[in-house]
Amino acid sequence: GAHTKMASPKTVPKDAQVMMQILKDMGITEYEPRVINQMLEFTYRYVTTIIEDAKIYSTHAKKSTVDADDIRLAIQCRVDQSFISPPPRDFLLDIARQKNQTPLPLIKPYTGPRLPPDRYCLTAPNYRLKSLQKKVSSSAGRITVPRLSVGAVSSRPSTPTLGTPSVQTVGTKVGTPVSLTGQRFTVQIPSSQAASVKSATPTTPTVQNVLINPSLIGSKNILITTNMVSQNSSGDSTSLKRKHEDEDDYDAL
Amino acid sequence: MAAVQDGPMELDTEKETKPEILSDGTSKLSGNTASGTLSSSPLTAGGAPKQEDQQTLIAVLQFLRRNKLSESVEILRREAGLEDQEDSQTLDGSGGGKGDRDGGEANSLLSRVSITSAAAPQSTLTPITVKRANEQLDVSVVLSAYSQQGDPSLYQVYYSGLKNFIESVLDCHRAELSQLFYPLFVHMYLELVYNNHENEAKAFFEKFGGDQECYYQDDLRVLCGLTKKEHLKGNEVLLDFRTSRFVLRISRDSYQLLKRHLQERHNNQIWNIIQEHLYIDIFDGMPRSKSQIDSMSGSFAGEARREVNKVKVFHGLLKEPEIEVPLDDEEDEAENEEGKPKKKKTKKDSMGSKSKKQDPNAPQQNRIPLPELKDSDKLDKIMYMKESTKRIRLGPENLPSICFYSFLNAYQGLTAVDFTDDSSLLAGGFADSTVRIWSVTPKKLRKVKSAGELNLIDKESDDVLERIMDEKTASESKILCGHSGPVYSVSFSPDRNYLLSSSEDGTVRLWSLQTFTCLVGYKGHNYPVWDTHFSPFGYYFVSGGHDRVARLWATDHYQPLRIFAGHLADVTCTRFHPNSNYVATGSTDRTIRLWDVLNGNCVRIFTGHKGPVHSLAFSPNGKFLASGSTDGRVLLWDIGHGLMIGELKGHTDTIYALKFSRDGEILASGSMDNTVRLWDSTKAFDDVETDDFTAATGHIHLPDNSQELLLGTYHSKSTPVTHLHFTRRNLLLAAGGYSSQ
Repeated sequence: GAHTKMASPKTVPKDAQVMMQILKDMGITEYEPRVINQMLEFTYRYVTTIIEDAKIYSTHAKKSTVDADDIRLAIQCRVDQSFISPPPRDFLLDIARQKNQTPLPLIKPYTGPRLPPDRYCLTAPNYRLKSLQKKVSSSAGRITVPRLSVGAVSSRPSTPTLGTPSVQTVGTKVGTPVSLTGQRFTVQIPSSQAASVKSATPTTPTVQNVLINPSLIGSKNILITTNMVSQNSSGDSTSLKRKHEDEDDYDAL
Repeated sequence: MAAVQDGPMELDTEKETKPEILSDGTSKLSGNTASGTLSSSPLTAGGAPKQEDQQTLIAVLQFLRRNKLSESVEILRREAGLEDQEDSQTLDGSGGGKGDRDGGEANSLLSRVSITSAAAPQSTLTPITVKRANEQLDVSVVLSAYSQQGDPSLYQVYYSGLKNFIESVLDCHRAELSQLFYPLFVHMYLELVYNNHENEAKAFFEKFGGDQECYYQDDLRVLCGLTKKEHLKGNEVLLDFRTSRFVLRISRDSYQLLKRHLQERHNNQIWNIIQEHLYIDIFDGMPRSKSQIDSMSGSFAGEARREVNKVKVFHGLLKEPEIEVPLDDEEDEAENEEGKPKKKKTKKDSMGSKSKKQDPNAPQQNRIPLPELKDSDKLDKIMYMKESTKRIRLGPENLPSICFYSFLNAYQGLTAVDFTDDSSLLAGGFADSTVRIWSVTPKKLRKVKSAGELNLIDKESDDVLERIMDEKTASESKILCGHSGPVYSVSFSPDRNYLLSSSEDGTVRLWSLQTFTCLVGYKGHNYPVWDTHFSPFGYYFVSGGHDRVARLWATDHYQPLRIFAGHLADVTCTRFHPNSNYVATGSTDRTIRLWDVLNGNCVRIFTGHKGPVHSLAFSPNGKFLASGSTDGRVLLWDIGHGLMIGELKGHTDTIYALKFSRDGEILASGSMDNTVRLWDSTKAFDDVETDDFTAATGHIHLPDNSQELLLGTYHSKSTPVTHLHFTRRNLLLAAGGYSSQ
């Protein structure tokens, strides 16, 4: 790290001096100056958490003051939550013995890329397009709960897919009344974007919702809802000709 | 007041002998010494305050009362001049000092009991409560506790007694017996801490901590900070140390000396501790010298038992498949099983005749299932053969050129590097959780087109393999995002289709190098995974992490196939043997273990490093293993015999990169001290003749010839070396992140 001159002991607050001494005792001689600050922040937060927990325990036990037992209990509970240590050795030896007893599985020849079953892979598309048609009859009077959450791409497995799902036009089943647009909560695609596609497609008014199957992704859902306003209703009509997968198309989990 | 003090036999001695006080008369100590007289012979006769006697007598009285020896009670009371005190009165502790002492005594008794019964009494409980609990204790329990442990305050005496003895023996035995110091010291210290004798523990540490060997100083520093039992609780490494047995190798003569000494004294606490915590592996032969011992010691659990390293290991190479090479010069592909370099200078392979014999050291072809060779693999092999013919033969007179790839603007975030075998791709793992791939050759990186576009191409054309690649997004480098923590290791598959990366988030990810997307996340370690490595034949890979195990996976199983458990601390480095039947793991416990893939057994344990092992390299012929650690030494091991055969000193900082040249003549090592060093491995392996190994002890004297073996030192400008790679033509590539100071 960048070794700037250490602050002279006289100007350093007492807590920081204590921390420097601790680091020295543990044999750590080279560190960035910001390490002290980080350690102090951690210490402060940890101690505060423990003392708050201890206060809760002591009031629960109807004691007037917080005493050592409460602190001890608070530390114990936090240790199991935050500072989890790896499993003990005998446990590891035990599961190793079990695992190592099964013989190595034979390798099937000529099978292409050797990957685990699809549900354990990250190769499925992480979104699917849901056709509107099936919802027409059932949701005439229902308020659709908006499930719009445009989250940033988390570093969890929400990865791009091997192949983009193919989307078919629903042009043939048009009967989509314009009034449906009012029932869905949709996000209008910026007209600039939509305009570029406009030329490519005939005016097939389609309203489609793109839903996320939450079982595909871990915690974050990405929902993109597109509103293709029919040409009849507004002047700047656009329609996105998108090929969407039939609902049963992909590997349902 | 302590209800039970001692066994009936020693009642008389109890009454008469004054309790000793070794150090300052703290309350705890006084209680301890009183009971300490039982199991240990009296050592010093310090002046005991009258209250000690009083207390002892009352304790005795208590015991007699409990056992309904009323006449004895009367006699004692009359003779000792004790007043008829009820238990409760003394319990409530009228005098302050007396009360404290009582508390101290009870505490110490209870703490002693905790050894056997594992009931952990709180040392901060008020004296009254303690005494009440104490009264309910069984006599037998307390008695048995005494026989287990010596008096804590006497630990210093035991230790110095042993020290005096060892210093008085003959020189030849002294070195061997000095091995006892460290494990005994640590175990005694941990016992004191575990039983809540904090002050004694600190005093013990201060007195004897400085005597220990210099290479244990890091461990001692950690121990120094551990003064309470609670500190031990989360520390798995030290708990393992307590429960596993430290192995010492001592010659029979030295052992007899020791045994005789310890058994003839009355206080044989050390003997008890040795029996409980140490394992002494006795060998017949000459006692070892200090330097021999020093070279093998340093690990967390002592050395390895001789039997452990006697398992047969198939370190030979697998037979190469016969591939017809449709070239102008029809070279026969049959290779010599001993893995001699393929010197295809002549058209005819004169070594073909040997291909019929099976190398006794090589495993069966089908010992472990291996993937079959695909057509693309066969083409790769042909390329490999062609490049090998152009390989430069290296040696002390012919050193390789080194090409250093410096990662600029990495700001110390570069944590892992790997090259493909044909040196066409370079992958870097970073602390910001990304993996980046660069093309080393002028050819750009291309990914496969999307499904829609693939539909449109002509599948019958000759150059279909180029057409499926997307030209529009071709670039020099690609970024792979997916991990949620720093990426500590990357490994290419031999067929260049996949890349593995392991990270602090506990997962190992498999990436496709055709689409540059993530295919699978293997979850199993729930803790940072420090290293991962693909098998030389693909399909299998091994990973090792903070949970102290290494796992063997196959790309098509979401759970590991084998779990290699046995290390006492994190597994920091994992490597496959060239024949893919064995896995070597280096660990923070300073040992290297060799595991059998077939059944998960540990077949070799190599000790000798004095710091965590961070790099491993198998020689191309499969016989030898090189390892580098934070102590700056490279150690060479003979796998077949299970012995250390070389020590290369020179580096001054952690060695993170080790690689043998393609034919095994040169070993290159790269370190944090910004240097790459080349060592003459042919000489290092030739020098050691196998005659010495047949001796049962297998202790060889290592010549200090590091300087002769060092062929060259090459400094980079403040760039630590993270990875080394020999191209197929024996050009050395090195990689590291430039750090500006």
